[in-house]
Amino acid sequence: MAILSINNLTKNYRTVKALDNVSFTVPAKTVFGILGPNGSGKTTLLGIVMDVIKSSGGTYTWAGEGMAANDLRKRIGTLLETPNFYHYLSAEKNLQIAAKIKGRGEADIDKVLKIVNLYERKDSKFNTYSLGMKQRLAIASALLGDPDILVFDEPTNGLDPAGIAEIRELIKSLYKSGKTIIMASHILDEVEKVCTHVAIIQKGVLKTVGPVAELMGTTGAETITRISIEVGAADNQALKNILQKMDGVSSITEAENELQLVCTEKITGELLNRFCFEKGIVLNKLNVKRKSLETRFLEITGNQSDK
Amino acid sequence: MINLLKIEWLKIKSYTGFILLSSFFALGVLTTNYIVYAFKKNVIDKVEGSQLLFSGSPFDFDAVWKTVSYYGGYFLMLPALLMVILISNEYSYKTHRQNIIDGWSRFEFLKVKLGLALVFALASTLVIVLTALLFGAFSGTAFSVNGFANVGYFFLKALTYNLVAILISILVKKSGVAIALFFIYTIFENGVSLLLFFLAIKLKKDSNLDLGNIGNYLPMNASDGLLTSPFEQFQGMAKSVLPTDYNMLVLAFALVYVIVFYLWSRNRILKSDL
Repeated sequence: MAILSINNLTKNYRTVKALDNVSFTVPAKTVFGILGPNGSGKTTLLGIVMDVIKSSGGTYTWAGEGMAANDLRKRIGTLLETPNFYHYLSAEKNLQIAAKIKGRGEADIDKVLKIVNLYERKDSKFNTYSLGMKQRLAIASALLGDPDILVFDEPTNGLDPAGIAEIRELIKSLYKSGKTIIMASHILDEVEKVCTHVAIIQKGVLKTVGPVAELMGTTGAETITRISIEVGAADNQALKNILQKMDGVSSITEAENELQLVCTEKITGELLNRFCFEKGIVLNKLNVKRKSLETRFLEITGNQSDK
Repeated sequence: MINLLKIEWLKIKSYTGFILLSSFFALGVLTTNYIVYAFKKNVIDKVEGSQLLFSGSPFDFDAVWKTVSYYGGYFLMLPALLMVILISNEYSYKTHRQNIIDGWSRFEFLKVKLGLALVFALASTLVIVLTALLFGAFSGTAFSVNGFANVGYFFLKALTYNLVAILISILVKKSGVAIALFFIYTIFENGVSLLLFFLAIKLKKDSNLDLGNIGNYLPMNASDGLLTSPFEQFQGMAKSVLPTDYNMLVLAFALVYVIVFYLWSRNRILKSDL
């Protein structure tokens, strides 16, 4: 079942086309990543489906037939772009307002504040919060009322490494409990670690969409032919010399204390290790990297950031 | 609507700006009327022959309704300013988006602001009624509701000011600019109104064409024009050159502006990017 169907959504800002005929559907019980460089149209897209931005064309439909659009939004927990709260009110009072608008009781407030580790600071005014705390409060607000659908726009923005890991774990556990999460991000690693599905957007154009595993497995019709491996030995020059003679190694780049190889798929760590050992070189580093979403992303979008 | 207003109350009840401006309003109305009261009693009444010009006190029933409404009217900038600040806050905190994301419809966001404008207008009017009752009681005259229409004019003026405030803050969005524009507009309209007043006198004198005080047909002055000074005896001396007041027409204009401000704000909220 589709949670959200988007059909030919278009948004023009004077001369800029922020979204150009974007269509996709978000299946239920997935973590659906919307991935794209800065300014690619991710927030515009989420703004339209949350009715704070008017589209120039196209339609969208949330699951839930016969419900008024704003009542549908009450069942969705959303963090869009920035944490939006009344600066002069405490975290708790801000969440009371959000809970009332959503038509939920206030019983949840303590619970969600504990989830994001803000319970101790619930009486502090919002304007005394750090950027990371504001972001966590926005996530707490989205969790109010235990909604089945969550929309997170750059959820780890402003968080420290521990905070980032916590939020990723939170998203994974929400997914495991059967919720649907729509998440916009420009961080590939994040999408790769958290999402089950991904739509890649560049300059308002949908480049590709599908399950993450499927996307990383194929380049259009071609099967992936290359993997990258990092190796190191006491004498990297000697290592380089013998690897140049190895079948399947298509390129070698020297980096600090290691060599970065691009190999065909038939090369495995075991094969490489045995080959070097037989030639009298003992590896002190061997790191086989599967083809990452990053490689795939750059293939799809071209190796340039959008200006 | 009550539910929406309850949520709005959560937003503003502990907001310092709200507490300050509403206290200033109540204090301003009380003290200004007291100053006029004391001035009349201690200065004017002691001038020989002043009884010829002023029969009775402007704080006697029925005059007290008109007097308190007129002087109270000068402080209506404060609740209107509060409206501008509250709406501009929503835009600068982006909570106008969050309220809608959380489940209000765009119209509900506007509806609750209109509700608030109405509540502020009613609360300001209540302050006027209480102040008038207080001064009326001091005057020792018999209670009467004659002239209570002035309180109604005051209410209409309060509502017009608050709706202008809503419109300006929705159109401008940025708090500093909205506040500045609100004041600039008020001053500008008063300036234009004054010019039109002289034009009206000239028209009446030269061609006997009496359209009333044309300045009173401008948006904020339309409701201002309904409240006249309790000391209009002075104006009486120049009555022959002054245009006649067309109160019903001014009232109609004021009501039309209220509707126009509502429709304009509504159109803006429903159709633009937030």
